[in-house]
Amino acid sequence: MINISELLEEIKASPFREITVRTPHTGRVTFAGLAQGQEVLGPQGQWKERPGTLLATLERERNPKPICATEKGVIDRIYNELEGQFVEAGTALMVIRHMLTRDEVEYLILKKALHLFLAPERAKYYFTPEVDKKIRAADAHSVVVRDGMELMIMSRMKREVPLHYSGPEGVIYAVYFKYNENIDAGAPLIGVCPQDQLPAIQDVIMRVRTEWTEK
Amino acid sequence: MLNLQDLYAMPLESHKVLVANRGEIAMRIMRACRKLGVAFTAIYTEEDAASGHVRLARETGGEKSLYRVSSYHDANELMSVADEAGCTAVHPGYGFFAEDFRFARRVMKRDRTMIFIGPSWKIIRELGDKINTKRLARSLGVPTVPGSDRPIYDEMEAERIARSVFEFQEQQGIRRPLVLVKASAGGGGMGIEEVYDIDVFRSVYRRIRNYALRQFKDEGVLIEQRITDFNHLEVQVVSDRTGRNPVHFGTRNCSIQSTGLQKRVEVAPGFAPGPITYSFDAAKVLTDIVDYSLTMARKVGYDNVGTWEWIVTRKGDPFLMEVNTRIQVENGVSACISRIRKDGRVIDDVDLLAEQVRIGLGQPLGYTQDDISFDGVGVEYRLIAEDPDNRFTPWVGRIERFQWKPQPWLTMLTHVPTDEPYEIPTEFDPNLALAIIWGKDLAEARARGLSFLDDLRLEGRNNAGEELKSNVNFLRANTERILRF
Repeated sequence: MINISELLEEIKASPFREITVRTPHTGRVTFAGLAQGQEVLGPQGQWKERPGTLLATLERERNPKPICATEKGVIDRIYNELEGQFVEAGTALMVIRHMLTRDEVEYLILKKALHLFLAPERAKYYFTPEVDKKIRAADAHSVVVRDGMELMIMSRMKREVPLHYSGPEGVIYAVYFKYNENIDAGAPLIGVCPQDQLPAIQDVIMRVRTEWTEK
Repeated sequence: MLNLQDLYAMPLESHKVLVANRGEIAMRIMRACRKLGVAFTAIYTEEDAASGHVRLARETGGEKSLYRVSSYHDANELMSVADEAGCTAVHPGYGFFAEDFRFARRVMKRDRTMIFIGPSWKIIRELGDKINTKRLARSLGVPTVPGSDRPIYDEMEAERIARSVFEFQEQQGIRRPLVLVKASAGGGGMGIEEVYDIDVFRSVYRRIRNYALRQFKDEGVLIEQRITDFNHLEVQVVSDRTGRNPVHFGTRNCSIQSTGLQKRVEVAPGFAPGPITYSFDAAKVLTDIVDYSLTMARKVGYDNVGTWEWIVTRKGDPFLMEVNTRIQVENGVSACISRIRKDGRVIDDVDLLAEQVRIGLGQPLGYTQDDISFDGVGVEYRLIAEDPDNRFTPWVGRIERFQWKPQPWLTMLTHVPTDEPYEIPTEFDPNLALAIIWGKDLAEARARGLSFLDDLRLEGRNNAGEELKSNVNFLRANTERILRF
């Protein structure tokens, strides 16, 4: 088992993450009038149904798209010189300094504690339709994976091949890939927790919940 | 605000073309534009920053000639860049939006209208649907492949049709009958599988259906009788915006394919009835498929470049497979054997992409079938990083050395830089280069092809330190059998 206390101390030493807000696509930028040093909020509400602070608006083909903060933080840099300009996809608009939340710390620690099933190649990954259906109906925790089971579809260069799970039997505790996103070879796809280790993992989570204070 | 007729009446130099594609074809479009004196704007995504088309756009493009976008598949991105850069036309290349009639319609019908360099959207819609094409062909007496004549959405019905196709073949005395399961909306060899056993039919059907839904957003599946012993031929059709005077640029033979039914070697013309003996009248087959293709083109008023794809059986029966309403990868092989007589002079460096852009922008064709003549044999190799011994699995890694010997009879089309290492992006086709070779006859074209492959240097490594795998040996081994049947 990993040393949780040590890991927590390590994270506490630098509890920040810099988030660069980039334009998702091309368009004309209008900033929302924020300044450096101002605090912004991430999505709010019980179901995160209220979007975060409006940072800028990106207009393309007459569709204004609001760009909102995805996390809570303080504006570290803002590229106001882009105001009113047509920008390319992936242009940096601002940098937000974000303090790690309890969930993020949990995520970091789980990534060390779980059995990770890694991507064999750089490709896009999907769950097989059967597994996908189960996950949609309940959640990932309901899916038990076994060695040799056909779990995913690996798609690259227009070819799709089934991917079989290898590793200990257990439940899918964390999913690390997004739909239609390219995953690098060696990056984790899912975190699996063997049934007998479930209590230990839940313990770890409890500790993070009690020891990490959110500001 | 300009309307479409104003745009067609504009001189070439006033146009600016959005090159809505990547890699090798984007480079060919940019070169064609420069040749015609037409300005262009190119696009690229994050993964493609090192691609040769980005470099070419930087080096040869004028103002506002290169933009980074989030995806080549996002029509909004293309439209917003086109507006910002002041484009008057969009060239879709092949793949992506090339055969998407909705995209073509949007380009032409928006407030700031532009020309779609390709057939008009109604023609793309009419011929883009394989089933509709089949119906149209049958109505004109053009032979088509047997099988379902509409997409199947129901599993039970699909199985019933598959069973009947199996039974039919057994009655015909075929030793190893099989059916072909195809995504109805697919193309270019994607989403096609063969089934030899009715017991596995359902799982294959489901796989293709899921694939079709993911890739093409349409679950429709076709079930066809597979003709196994055949040659794959094509007719290159070119017509201007009047749609009244289509001409052809000969035939091509694209029978040498990977196991996934992707073309690897293309040859023009389609057969060589002189040096090779066939069990059927090859010259007549070539004339027939050209005539059938032009009949259909005239019927629909075809108004840009397009390819009619044919299956020719060992008995010499041609069947229409589909129509590709776009420029094709292998257009260069037809161009290299063609000559055009125009305004009293002979053009012997025919460029079908430049022709496509020119007539697409509204210029008249300016010549007739009588002005087009053919000379020699053209061979095109598709150089691909893949493992032919292992079901042509794509190889991914870094290309460290890529060199060939320049020859007057060789045209190399590639987006892979030759002066610095290149990481193959995994998002797209693994095509590295197209090598087009010309010879005065079949024997010379074959010999030159082999000498090109012998001189080629293609080396690289992947993350695991393994050496680059390519299809060079596959191409070499198959050179001997080109145009043979």
